[in-house]
Amino acid sequence: MTQPVTIIMIEDDEGHARLIERNIRRSGVNNEIVSFANGTDAMRHLFGADGSGLVQKGNALLILLDLNLPDMTGIDILKQIKENKYLKASPVVVLTTTDDTQEIKRCYELGCNVYVTKPVNYENFANAIRQLGLFFSVIQVPPAAT
Amino acid sequence: MNSAEPKTVVKAWAQRRRAFWQILLFSAGLLVLTVISAGSVYLVNKARDDSKWVIHTIEAENQINALLLEIRRAESAARAYLLTRGADFKADHDKAVAAIVPALDRLTHLIGDNPEQRKSIDKLSSAIETRLGQLAQEIDFIRQDQPEKATALVREFASTDATAAIAEIATGMLQEEERLFRLRTVNSDRSQTLAASMTGIGSGLVVLLAMISIWLVRRSARARDEAENRLRDAYANLETVVDERTADLREANDEIQRFAYIISHDLRSPLVNIMGFTSELEELGGDIFRRIGGLTHVPADGPPPASGEIVLEGADKQLSEDFSEALGFIKTSIAKMDRLISAILNLTREGRREFQPVKIDTSELIGAIVSTLAHQAAEAQAEIHVEPLPNLVSDRLALEQIFSNLIDNAIKYLKSGVPGEIRIRGRTKLGYAIFEISDNGRGIDPKDHQRIFDLFRRAGTQDKPGQGIGLAHVRALVRRLGGTMSVSSELNAGSTFTITLPIAWNVSNRNADR
Repeated sequence: MTQPVTIIMIEDDEGHARLIERNIRRSGVNNEIVSFANGTDAMRHLFGADGSGLVQKGNALLILLDLNLPDMTGIDILKQIKENKYLKASPVVVLTTTDDTQEIKRCYELGCNVYVTKPVNYENFANAIRQLGLFFSVIQVPPAAT
Repeated sequence: MNSAEPKTVVKAWAQRRRAFWQILLFSAGLLVLTVISAGSVYLVNKARDDSKWVIHTIEAENQINALLLEIRRAESAARAYLLTRGADFKADHDKAVAAIVPALDRLTHLIGDNPEQRKSIDKLSSAIETRLGQLAQEIDFIRQDQPEKATALVREFASTDATAAIAEIATGMLQEEERLFRLRTVNSDRSQTLAASMTGIGSGLVVLLAMISIWLVRRSARARDEAENRLRDAYANLETVVDERTADLREANDEIQRFAYIISHDLRSPLVNIMGFTSELEELGGDIFRRIGGLTHVPADGPPPASGEIVLEGADKQLSEDFSEALGFIKTSIAKMDRLISAILNLTREGRREFQPVKIDTSELIGAIVSTLAHQAAEAQAEIHVEPLPNLVSDRLALEQIFSNLIDNAIKYLKSGVPGEIRIRGRTKLGYAIFEISDNGRGIDPKDHQRIFDLFRRAGTQDKPGQGIGLAHVRALVRRLGGTMSVSSELNAGSTFTITLPIAWNVSNRNADR
């Protein structure tokens, strides 16, 4: 049974969030996008009040993650997602301004599925997001483990 | 530091004073020894002289006594002859008389130095002559067999008292010699005592000086030990201070690196928005102006024309152009800012990269750079000459960046219309390799020599693309490799960049500072 995939966007910059959302929509992806402007809210949503992640059981999620958040680093969120038995199967796309090779390597080591650098050039940015949208439209996302 | 200075001065003064005293003591000791030696020699000589004189006096006395003895012998032999007429006694008398003359001569010789005694000896010799003459007369009468005449003579001569005169003079002389003997003995004693006491006092003085010297030496040794301790402490302290400062510097450097990284990072984030929404605005603007065009051109009856075919006119066209121009400026500025931020990011990243020292064939490395730049060089009609270069141990990537930047610059900033000639030379000096990259290009005004190494700063005619990063980056790399770089150039007279790098750079040189 396929379930509609919810896109969780964790992005502190509202402008970025808006641009990302707009370009995803332009690529024809109409899945629900839930955005969070800080890590704490996102964590609460993902892991629930008890922090176990049980709330997301059975949901298909795709997580868009920025690394520079005001209250915590995206790396920490990524780590916790990949360590949680309910969430670890959900694909995580790291979408950030950092193109530091060390950081990219670290993210992949922690289990990030895609790493995208936000280019300043808007054409490239829009292209990247649209391609990501296309990618979203074909990707198979498993529901969170039961 | 300020409080320590007067103390140091005092210490230096004390040291000089100590040294002065030591030299003074040494000189004094030497002087005393010399005086003692000279004095001893003089006094010993004097004592010997005095002793000689004492012996001389005794000899003189002996001689007088011997003379008197010979006279008595002559007299007694003469008497015995008178009494016995024995030829033996006559011979005895003659022998004694014969001995008297040399004895008298010797005595004269001995006491010739004393005018007093000389007078006495003259008197004595005449008295002896008289007496000997008398004796000879007596003996003559005996030989002529006239004993009564001889006896009369004896009697007569006894009254003339020549014998008494002799005895008297001799006694006087002996007394005189006795006096001299006493005098000279006293002198001799005094000389010897003086010599002994001089030696004694001198030795004492030398011992005293030696003791003072030893004391001074020990004191200065103690002072030296103290100074050594202080020096050791200062060294230890210095090392700690250096370590602290190095740690501080390292921390500050890390802080700057982090700062630059974060800044460039966080600056990028709003830039994405500005660029993104500017593009959105551009699109929106396009839509708006299309709509305006559509509205103004809408034929009263027909359907609106297809988008893209609308041509704005008059004020609308002006508005659209102004709009596009404004957006265009915004976008180019953002692009430029992005390049600058990227440059800072790259620089900080470069600063964080760990260098790996490896053995590098410099000629090969530069050859590779030259071949990648061959196309640009050909376009600029430039020839690149690479002279033999010293090899070194350094970071390959850093060296590649350094040389390619410099050669690229040399090609980029040639004089237009003049065939370029770029020369790369190398030599070694005191553990350093010195590379020179010279060109016959447009050159750099001396007032800009410092400026060209600053980040985002450029000099001369701005007709080539660039961010003003290359040389700043090169200099940072050279510094991290433990080297220095400089430029010598005149406007329109070409430039020479000189790079000095350690031949054998190792990680501890610089990476340890990071």
